[in-house]
Amino acid sequence: MSIESGRVVRVIRGIDAISDWSGRIACWLVLPLIFVMTWEIANRYLIKPTYWAFDLSYMLYGALFMLGAAYTLHRGSHIRTDFLYQKWPVKVQAWVDAFCYLVLFFPGIAIFFWLSVDWALLSWQRQEKAMASAWMPPLYPLKSVLPVALALLLLQGMAEFLKCVHAIRTGAWLTKQRSIEEALADELPSEGNTK
Amino acid sequence: MTPEIIGGWLLVALVASIFVGFPIAFTLIILGLGFGYWGFGDTVFHLLLFQTFATMKEQTLAQVPLFIFMGLLLERAGLMERLFLVMQKMFGGLNGSLYLSAMFVATLFGAASGIAGASVTLLGIMAARSMDRSKYDVRLSAGIITSGGTLGILIPPSVMLVVMGPVMGVPVTDLYAGALIPGVMLAAMYAAYALIRCYLNPSLGPALPPEERAASVSSTLIEFAKGMIPISVLLMCSLGAILGGVATPTEGAALGAFGSLTLVILYRRLTWPLLYNSVLKTIEVSCMILFLVAASNFFGGVFSRLGTPEVLSQALLSLELNKYVILLIIMAAIFLLAWPLEWVPIVLIFVPIVLPMVKQLGFDMTWFAILIAVNLQTAWLSPPVALSAYFLKGVAPQWQLSDIYMGMLQFMMIQLVGLALVMAFPQLVLWLPGVLYGK
Repeated sequence: MSIESGRVVRVIRGIDAISDWSGRIACWLVLPLIFVMTWEIANRYLIKPTYWAFDLSYMLYGALFMLGAAYTLHRGSHIRTDFLYQKWPVKVQAWVDAFCYLVLFFPGIAIFFWLSVDWALLSWQRQEKAMASAWMPPLYPLKSVLPVALALLLLQGMAEFLKCVHAIRTGAWLTKQRSIEEALADELPSEGNTK
Repeated sequence: MTPEIIGGWLLVALVASIFVGFPIAFTLIILGLGFGYWGFGDTVFHLLLFQTFATMKEQTLAQVPLFIFMGLLLERAGLMERLFLVMQKMFGGLNGSLYLSAMFVATLFGAASGIAGASVTLLGIMAARSMDRSKYDVRLSAGIITSGGTLGILIPPSVMLVVMGPVMGVPVTDLYAGALIPGVMLAAMYAAYALIRCYLNPSLGPALPPEERAASVSSTLIEFAKGMIPISVLLMCSLGAILGGVATPTEGAALGAFGSLTLVILYRRLTWPLLYNSVLKTIEVSCMILFLVAASNFFGGVFSRLGTPEVLSQALLSLELNKYVILLIIMAAIFLLAWPLEWVPIVLIFVPIVLPMVKQLGFDMTWFAILIAVNLQTAWLSPPVALSAYFLKGVAPQWQLSDIYMGMLQFMMIQLVGLALVMAFPQLVLWLPGVLYGK
């Protein structure tokens, strides 16, 4: 491996690690989601309904899946149709993917990110609250999730693009893609092992 | 160029890029932005933020991570193996008893959890060795395991129905109630088919040797009760509470997840790696479904704003075909699309395109949704594209892939009969929601 491609691999590994950790942190949101809802049911039948459980539940759920976007890309699990793709040689796959990242991924996600930054900032400035709820919780924390998640996603997209470059050069993928059934079935790799 | 035509080009671009194999969610976002800007300018940017945030606030979709987490824990709690062993002892004297036991366990766990409760992998690990040891027919065994292992996604509660609800504009509770009878009916058809074939030809599923049967009736009944109690409690927590109106679907899902967590702790199976792996897998699988839901909601917003679905449905309606012919064409298209595509893009992209037409034809939305769900279920049994075959091969390497295919094919045929029944008798779907919710 040349020095230059060694550097590329180091960058890829670095970004992969960031996305990996974003998933490993955000995934814990599922536990409070369970407890909040269970608490709500218990309270409703024993004492009286809470006024905050509903808002909290969608906030936890919304943050959970949005913040998982970069991690899921890093795991190669975003849903795709690979029945043609999988038959192509690695270099063709890599060229097609590289082209798609440049044309389909970066422009859309970059615009989306840029829009979401303004949108979240506006929400902070106005101290926006959820008016439909009795609790009227602030909405800006949930709105801030979007730019954060998209920034992580953009970063991971760069790593994926570099993986294409690497595959074009070496003829081999660093990581593989998965379907829903495969993601559910396979055991997770131990920490730090992204292969 | 009129907006409707722009929408038509949008569809062409989408189909082309889907088949290139790039993640569909990203394609939807850029195509929606590009064609939306072309069609109606700046508004598209607001639409993107609005639709994404609407998805993030759609509380019923919180069922997706909850059910996935519950399913992952349930798999590892060891409840299924216990019940399977007891069933095996109880019915050991019967020809084909293992088929019956496997299907019973799969159905019960499917009804307790929102994803395939007993996945093909798990069912394969559990049942394949017993079936081999008892000299069961490989094809029939493979068919029972793959069909039982995929049936859980149809039997309510179901992540697929959760995603379908908002798309069709039908409450998820109606879909759950509607899917219950078709789901149980299919399970019964699978089991009946296997048992009848064993009755006609006992060598397909010989009775177990006496030492593997129950020693005494009373001890078996106690064992059976022990195996049934935890899963019955879970069933009451999730599906029971939802259908009974005690809890909203999301609360039911949370209750089920909480119950599974409690069970895993009670059975002393909870370890740090188990918990960590389960939450981590939950975020990955939830995100692959929900991120696509968000992107599709935006894409669907652009598409319908361009007015293309209306024009398409008008064009198809002007052909003046019989409405059942149109329904058959739609079902055939879904059946074929389900080969290359996963259920998520079909439900999120294809279904909204035909929806205005189906509405104009006056079909009941709940019934139509369940027809799609049953139809998609066949795709998981259609070799060689269905992944179930490879998962089974992975845990039962001694079985030939060709035998697994042949087994799946038989059960796919039963599935098609089931689909025809649900089409011919809408009451199979509509009766239960009518009784429960008085519609």
